[in-house]
Order: sequence, then C-alpha cells, then structure tokens
Amino acid sequence: MSSKKPEQPKGPSATTVDRRGFLKGAATGAAALAVTPVARAQEPSAYRASFTAPSYQQMQRDAGLVELPAPDSRGVVRPGSDLMVQALKEMGIEFVASNNGSSFEGIQESIANYGSPPNHMPEFITALHEESSVDMANGYAKAEGRPMAVMLHGTLGIQHASMSIFQAYNTGTPMLLIVGRDVGFIQAHTADDMAAMCRSFTKWDAQPTTLSECIDTLHEAYRQAVTPPTGPAMVVIDIELQKEEAQDFDLPRFRPAVIEGVDTATAKDIAEKLLNASNPRLETGMFRTPKGIGAAVELAELIGASTSTTSTGGPMGFPQRHPLCGPGEESNYDYVLGLEADASDLSLKRPIVNSLTAQRDVMGIGFGSLREDYAPAPPGSEPTPLDRSPRQPQGTVLKVDAQASIPLIIGELSRLITPAKQREIEQRKARHARTNRETFLTALRVAVEEKKKGWDLSPVSTARIYAELWPLIMNEDWCLASPSNFSGAHHRELWEHNKPYSYLGTQGAGGMGYGPGACAGAALAARSRGRFVVNVQPDGDLNYSPGALWTAVHHELPMLTVMHNNRAWHQEYMFLQYLAGVRGRGTDRGHIGCVLRDPFIDYSKMAQAYGMDSEGPIENPALLTAALDRGVRSVKNGKPYLIDVVTQPR
Amino acid sequence: MKILVISVTGLLIGFTAPAATAQQEPVISDANAGAQLYYDHGCYACHGYSGYGRVDLNNTGSPWLVNEEIFRAFLRARADVAPVLPSTSMPNYPANALSDEGVNDIFAYIRSLPDNQPDSADIPALRTILESAEQREYKP
Repeated sequence: MSSKKPEQPKGPSATTVDRRGFLKGAATGAAALAVTPVARAQEPSAYRASFTAPSYQQMQRDAGLVELPAPDSRGVVRPGSDLMVQALKEMGIEFVASNNGSSFEGIQESIANYGSPPNHMPEFITALHEESSVDMANGYAKAEGRPMAVMLHGTLGIQHASMSIFQAYNTGTPMLLIVGRDVGFIQAHTADDMAAMCRSFTKWDAQPTTLSECIDTLHEAYRQAVTPPTGPAMVVIDIELQKEEAQDFDLPRFRPAVIEGVDTATAKDIAEKLLNASNPRLETGMFRTPKGIGAAVELAELIGASTSTTSTGGPMGFPQRHPLCGPGEESNYDYVLGLEADASDLSLKRPIVNSLTAQRDVMGIGFGSLREDYAPAPPGSEPTPLDRSPRQPQGTVLKVDAQASIPLIIGELSRLITPAKQREIEQRKARHARTNRETFLTALRVAVEEKKKGWDLSPVSTARIYAELWPLIMNEDWCLASPSNFSGAHHRELWEHNKPYSYLGTQGAGGMGYGPGACAGAALAARSRGRFVVNVQPDGDLNYSPGALWTAVHHELPMLTVMHNNRAWHQEYMFLQYLAGVRGRGTDRGHIGCVLRDPFIDYSKMAQAYGMDSEGPIENPALLTAALDRGVRSVKNGKPYLIDVVTQPR
Repeated sequence: MKILVISVTGLLIGFTAPAATAQQEPVISDANAGAQLYYDHGCYACHGYSGYGRVDLNNTGSPWLVNEEIFRAFLRARADVAPVLPSTSMPNYPANALSDEGVNDIFAYIRSLPDNQPDSADIPALRTILESAEQREYKP
C-alpha cells in the first residue's frame, strides 16, 4: 500500500463544521458552547483585553447569565486516540518511545490516561531525542523479535529520527513508527506527504483520513513490519483523528500476520534428503523470532545434524553451546540445508527489505547500501569461531521464511523416521556432541592466551573488560546490546551465546549514537523478564546521544554501561594517519579532528548529571574487577550504573 | 570492511625482509624521546599505548624490528600512492615528516616496551572462564 494523499478528514463524527475549529472550540469547554469560532476570532487579544471594554459574552458571564456545564461534562467522551491506543494494546505493543510533541498529544494523553491500568501496554517511554527513541525500538525488536512503537512529531521528529530509521531499515528491524500531523498549528512542522522524507528507507507507510482507516493502517503497519521482508513501517496520523469523538465506533479485531513457509511437497523433499544423508548439516543464520530458533533446535535434534551459528555476531542465532553446534564429527557433509544462511544444497532465506528499495526510492536517491545489486551481509553472518566448515558453494535458494518452513519439515520427518534410523541418529548426535565440545574448548584455550596480552598495563585492554565481565554475568540472564566491533568483540571468543538476545549485533549502517538508545531498548525488554543488559559503550558513540542514560534511570532499566573510553574516534584517526602518510606529509597532525582530549570528557560525571550512579575514570586495571562487581550489583538492585574505563584504542 | 584491512606485508611486496629468526641487536637511541614521538605520531592508534593493540609490537619476533636500519627502511618503504578508499594500513613515514633520529628513538621505545603476558593460570578471570566452560552443560 502506498502513501495516500491527504484529504479532508471524514470520520464518524464529521460534520459540516470544520473539524479543527469544532474540536478546538470544544476544548475550551463551556465558553465554546456559547461562542462560535467566528465570534472568538473577533474577541480582543489577551494583551488588548487589559484596556478594552469587556465583550458581550464576558458581561453575560459576569452577570451570571451563562449556564455553566456540569462539572463532569466533556466535549469529547470517547476520543479517537483512545481507540488507537486500544489497537496498540491488542497488537501487544509493550512500549511507545517518544520525545513528546503536540502533533500526537491526543495519543500521548490516551496512553497516559486510557485503560486500566493506564500507561501500561503500551507504556510511554520518555526519550530525549527522536534518534534515541528509534534506537530503543531497534534494540527492543532485536532482543524480542517483535516491534514496539515510536511516536515522532511531524517533519522535525522524522528528520531527527531519520538516521536511526535508516539503520533499522539496513538490519530489517520491525518497528511501528507513528507520526503526528497537525496542519494549521506550526506550518514548518507539517507537510502534505510527511512519510516521503524517509520512504526510500521504510518498508511501508500510510496517511489515513478517517478513524476507521487509521485503525486499519495501524494493524496493517504492524503486519507489514513483521512480515518478511521485515522493517520499519510508518503511519502518519492527523491530530483531528486523534481528538475526534469516536461515538459508537466499533474497533475492528486485529488479525495477526500470516507468514508462509515452503509448500508441503518441498518440505517432504527436504525431509527425505535430510533423512537419507549419512552426515546432514544445518547452516543457520538470523531467525525472525525466538520461535524460529526453537524450531531449528528441534529440527537439528530430530535429524542429528551438526549446526553452525551466527549467535556471536548478532541476535536470533542458534545457541552456541548446544551440543550439535559446531563442525561436528566430520565435515564431509552429504546434504547441507541453509536456514536463513547460505548452503551448498538448499537455502531457505526470507527476502531482505532492500529488495523493496527500488520501488520505494521514488526520488531516486540511490542509497548505496540499499541498492538491489548490493547484497550486504545480514546481521550475524560474520564467521564465528565454531563455524570452521570450509566455504560451501551456493546451492538452490528459495526466498521463503525458514522459521515458517521448519515445522512443516519436522512434520514430514516425524512421519518418515523409523526406529532403526532413530538409533543411528542418536549415535551420531553423541559423536557430534563430543567433537563440538572439544572444538569449543580448544578455541577458548587459544583465545585466553591471546586475551592476556597487556593484561596488567594501563590504559586497560579492551580484552580485559570483556574477560573480567564474563565471570560476573555468566550466571545471569544477560544480553550484550552494544555493538562490539569497535571494542575488539572479545565476547565472541570468551562468552557463551545461547539466547536469542545474547548479542544484538552492530549498528546497521555504521551510524554513531546507536549504542545508548539500543541498549536502553534492550533493557526495556529485559526489565520485566529478569534480564541484565550489558553496554560496552564507545565514548564517541555516547556523545551523540547521552540522553538515553537519563531514560535508563527514569525508567529503572537494568543496564550496566562500561565505557570503552579511548578518547578518540580511532577508526577515523587511523584513516587520517594513513592518508597523511601516503601523501608524504607525516602523521603527527593526524589527531586533528579525531581525538577527544584537551579536555578529556568525564563520563562518570556525565552519568551523574543524568542521575545515574557511576564511577571512574579507571585507568588502573587492578581496580576494574571491583568496579564491575559494584556495577553488576547495582543493576541487579534495579539501578543502572556506568563505569568509565580509560582503555587502549582497540 | 575486509577491503580496508589490508595486511602490512601485502603492501611490502618487493621489499626483502630479513629472516624472522634474526637476532635483535642492541639499542642506543633515546626511548623517552621515542615515547613522545610514538604518541605524537599516533602509533598507539593501531599498536596500543604499550605495544598491544590491533597489531602487536611486543616481543613479536618481527623481522622489521631487528635493528634501526631495517625499521627505518620499513617506515620509509610504505605505499606512496593515494588510496581511493580509507585504509587502516600502516602509514608511510617520509624523512621530511619523521627524521632518522626520530625513527631511532621510536625504535628504542618499542624495544623498551614490557612483555606483559602473565600466565593465564595466574589470572582469576581467565581461569574462571576456562573452568566454567569445561564444567558448564548447555541448558536451553
């Protein structure tokens, strides 16, 4: 569905009177009942009222000749925005992150006051910047595999949020973006086709013109966001629709998305090939939701296949320490099935959202990473220590959702497996488990010897941060929500990634400022589920969006932030040094524009300014363990914590 | 990203490297002055403040660190063609930007860097990581 051109609103309560004038009149309460919009326009301004004669209406009121309404009467008793919030409830939207704005004040007021209890499912999450609010939705969806909502204020909100939306589009993260539109208030904040500003990097958008359309488009936006190719979907909602009287409007029931897998014949063919193979193999990637991982585990166990994982590179991956995860006893695989991953025989891969870019990019912007001829590696597709199998030639690829397909394959397998085959499979599983365990431990021993380099030196090595953290959180239900590509990604070799949300992967488009918001979003998901979010936070990244620290404190989010404070944007520093070198001009001015010194930034004080408990800067590595321990205990007690650690560059 | 991470040795095709097993020779230059140059020229960006980083310098047995002459030749022999794409490869250090004396001082500083690799068995965190991995069974 493409965006609709704005039309004159026609809702259940539409009358011949202009809606805006009617509603604004109604909002003034009793006076509006006696004063027409025309009459109001002729009233003196507040300034002139100090020296002009009272109006006829004022004199009437002063004389007690105006009948005041009953104290409990309201102009609107069932506002449209209550129904919008009810729709969000029925879709299971837990949170709406937003930096407030008048163009969606109707919905915001409904979140705050509608429902029992109010401000629950969804809960309003206060963000200090729209970019952070979208990052929160990104982190939440990566952790949970389902969307939360974001509200944006008109043209300004969209533009503030656009970079984060772009990043979410790059990772195909589902989210529901609600944009308020208020024609007639501040003209710079509105536009005819608001969603056009980011149409080339959203999956779907709509601008409904009636309350009925609005509910339908909210439902459809959710379905579009979660249906492959997944991605951000946007609904632009006029303020009139939020404020109009819904009267007896019957809220339609939400119909969840139906996501189809392979057909029965294909499922049977795959099942037979898996069953007939003496050493079947599953190559797995990033599944759509945790259910997909569960299905993949069930399939691997049913058929006794060794399995690869992307769980150390991104979310929704096969559990790393599952006994079948690893190269298996032998790498002479005779049937390799890809589940959201490339494989030599057959791959089931859902379409990615940039397959839609050509039709959405109506302005011909041509974002490099979104072109159809550019195929970025999907999140979590980086090779992992366990993924030692030689690169397979690409076999047949079916553009179909693996998660929806696996149950069909399992169904066919269950009918085909004989007791004799079952015994063979059990023996193979035991052999795989032994080999995979030893493979993991061997890789870990090698990693430990590598990570001890510079252990006692100051500034603190990035490896030591990850190594010291792991013993403190390994028995928690943890989630590493910050991208680790700039801090050495040492968790990939030292930690065990067994949950869908163990590691949430990188920014999407490499945009800075993502970390604090994404971690806060992951912590929103974690708060009611007893989880613990770790944020190894680069200093350059934090300075784009520090306000997310306040959000973490305000909403009591379980988030431990450990600064990777290398006092520079070191990637750019290295680039500039190289260029200066090859130009023969020396590297001693390569720091210009790349370092954060003179003065150093005190992140502990920054956190305290936002109300977050903190300590540091820590330069002596001997002080690190105790500080991390204090941080972990604080978060477990419900208080987010920041530790500023001055680190080696990488 | 792979395109950006060009190996140092890849840029040195044609430069004859001495044997990796060559003995390191004594150092006579000023390590303190070299420390300042190491910082000013941003060597730490890739090699860490103490020689451990994206590319380690400490006790690596690198053939380029046998003596000052070889180290100097290594720094001067970098690519001098402007790359189209950003690169995090080792920069070129021409004589007009870093004197021979400066190179020698940096060399002295690198050779003075401590070889800080404690036994992993003496590091509680690393010991715990290994022990727990061996004992831990997978739980869904």
